[in-house]
Amino acid sequence: MRNALRVPLALAALAVAVLLPVAAGPFWTGLLTQMYVFGLLALSVDLLLGHAGLFSLCHASFFAVSAYTTAILQVRHAVPTALAAPAGLLAGTLLGLVFGFAVRTRGVYFILITIAFGYVVWGVAHRWSSFTGGDNGVTNVPFPDVGAVRVESHTEYYYLVLAVVLLCALGYRLLVASPFGLTLRGIRASETRMRSLGYHSGLHLYAAFVVSAALASLAGVLYVYYNRFVNPVAASFPISVEAALMAIIGGTGTIVGPFIGSMIILWLRNWVSSFFELYASVMGLVFIAAVLWAPQGVVGLVGRLRARLAGAGSG
Amino acid sequence: MIRDAIRKPLRAAAVLLAVLGCAPALVHAQGGPIKIGLLPPVTGPLATPGRDMVDGFKLFWEQAGNKAGGRAVEIVLADTTCNPDQALTQARRLALQEKVHFMVGPLCGHEGPAVAQVSKETGVPLVMDAAGADTITKWERTPTVVRTAVSASQIGHPWGEYLYKELGLRNVTFIGQDYTWGHEVTLGAVRTYTELGGKVAKIIWNPIGTRDYGPTIAAIPAGTDGVSAVVVGVDRARLFEAWFNFGMDKKFKIYGGYWMHQDALPQMDDRAIGLIGNSLHYAAGLDTPENRAFTDAFARKYKRLPSWFGESAYTAALWTKTAIDAINGKVEDRAAFLKAMRTVQVKAPRGPVRMDEYDNPVQNVYISRIQKIKHPVLGDVLTNVPVKTYEAVSQFWKWTPEEFLKRGPYKR
Repeated sequence: MRNALRVPLALAALAVAVLLPVAAGPFWTGLLTQMYVFGLLALSVDLLLGHAGLFSLCHASFFAVSAYTTAILQVRHAVPTALAAPAGLLAGTLLGLVFGFAVRTRGVYFILITIAFGYVVWGVAHRWSSFTGGDNGVTNVPFPDVGAVRVESHTEYYYLVLAVVLLCALGYRLLVASPFGLTLRGIRASETRMRSLGYHSGLHLYAAFVVSAALASLAGVLYVYYNRFVNPVAASFPISVEAALMAIIGGTGTIVGPFIGSMIILWLRNWVSSFFELYASVMGLVFIAAVLWAPQGVVGLVGRLRARLAGAGSG
Repeated sequence: MIRDAIRKPLRAAAVLLAVLGCAPALVHAQGGPIKIGLLPPVTGPLATPGRDMVDGFKLFWEQAGNKAGGRAVEIVLADTTCNPDQALTQARRLALQEKVHFMVGPLCGHEGPAVAQVSKETGVPLVMDAAGADTITKWERTPTVVRTAVSASQIGHPWGEYLYKELGLRNVTFIGQDYTWGHEVTLGAVRTYTELGGKVAKIIWNPIGTRDYGPTIAAIPAGTDGVSAVVVGVDRARLFEAWFNFGMDKKFKIYGGYWMHQDALPQMDDRAIGLIGNSLHYAAGLDTPENRAFTDAFARKYKRLPSWFGESAYTAALWTKTAIDAINGKVEDRAAFLKAMRTVQVKAPRGPVRMDEYDNPVQNVYISRIQKIKHPVLGDVLTNVPVKTYEAVSQFWKWTPEEFLKRGPYKR
């Protein structure tokens, strides 16, 4: 029954996503684009958090390094999108290969070392102003333009991001359902047992870290073409934290969860702040409520409600 | 049961759509009120200056009866939280959804380029308020952006000359805040000071939010004959406390290039009296009829004196009203509005101001000393009183724009 439902539901969601820009106008289209981009970042964090059980707080680094690389190549060296975007993706992923050595640690040590990594990247973005532009960042990034695909408005860009995000979600689904994904969950449940079964847990976690960094880098590339500027805030600690919070609020270990989380947080920040000064407190209340009543996030909450309804129906 | 299960998510989707759909504001017809988008940091690290900005802006429009060019004026607030991402999104909201006629702001320097970007892509004019990044009116100008406040190095240049000529210092240690604004103010002063022949003992950079100024103070070289301070936010009070707690006032002389703003003075005490507090295009203790009228009104309404952030927003409002009046309220004509912004002359509380050819105001820069004055409304209060005025200072100081632009931005 659940499978029978999934297809029409997914199609309905897709139809809504495709039609939204028509109904919502340019501002909300832009905000939705941002929601998808940050949802993708949250999804990359969740590959480690929800599947491998590693709490990374340096994903803003991959996000920012790819954004900076793409922006600097496009703006200062007039490199076309076809090269600048893959270069950004590559730069972020390479950084992931280096930072990946953090998986030699576990638990709180992993968290601490990723925080330290994150601050190194932020420091470079902030201090090396002759290269990164310091606080002023890099501005005037053009819309992407690859051969026949030439984006000229935020609405067009919305569809590009939607397509990329959908492809990523499909790939992600295959990945977590693959033996590799199952191994990750096994490691999360009991690393010693997986090891005694003969799995090289360190290698699996390292690979997961790099894939996750690549995904965060992709989000960074999408981000810089949306924002059309980048400054050290993109590399800052709060971005890493927010990405993790989005995954937690939406529901870790799921695909839609991080996107739901990103929608909730960005919506709160941008809409509530327009009429309520203490919107940060509203966000705080949402976090508290999530921890108390929906520790599995919105997705978990929906599942629980559904189970309860089904139980009531049969009983 | 299946139908139930489908109905629930569908209903949820419908609610979501309804919420999203209702949110965009109604489009205002031409001839309706003039909508101005204001972009202050209402929350976040610079919320206090942000409050001055909102208060100064609203005070002016209240005094003007919320009218300009024969039309009603409506202000739409958007909180930038001093975060460029947020500033960008909020500016897009103002431009695309609220359909404001022009925007005023932001305050935080690093938000400036982000909001200018929105002005560029939407064509909605931006009247740049306190955000002072030099590059906005120098190397990366946008045709739809004009600045009514100040460029960072514009207040640094006279400060360097003052250190050398008026204070007679020859071996100065510069304490600077380690971000773009701090670099540009400090290094602007270093340039004019060293060009006159002054020697730099040391430049000490501190990140914003430095908790402990002990190491900074301890690093001041012994032969220093004066210390110049450029600090922002909470660092202003921290440097002040550390300076006196370590007894440095008996060892060195300290002078504030950008330090004791009116919004920070309540956190300081009488030890500040007599110190040079700022080199700035505004001082609340300025004795002109325009400033007296402004500070009295501000003090009556808000029970405090305005900082330069308050004056800056007030003047931005005065400047835009003068421009709107000049074009009879036709703000829909963006080119005409921008032209008026560039050509009108304004007698602001800070003194006479006019736009240079690079869209930055030419204005006085005041070196001010902290004094306790008897205010008619507030009683005894610490404030900045000008001791020296550099008249009609350009953002290019005494160089030609070409020379300055060729040299490139100040970078540490």
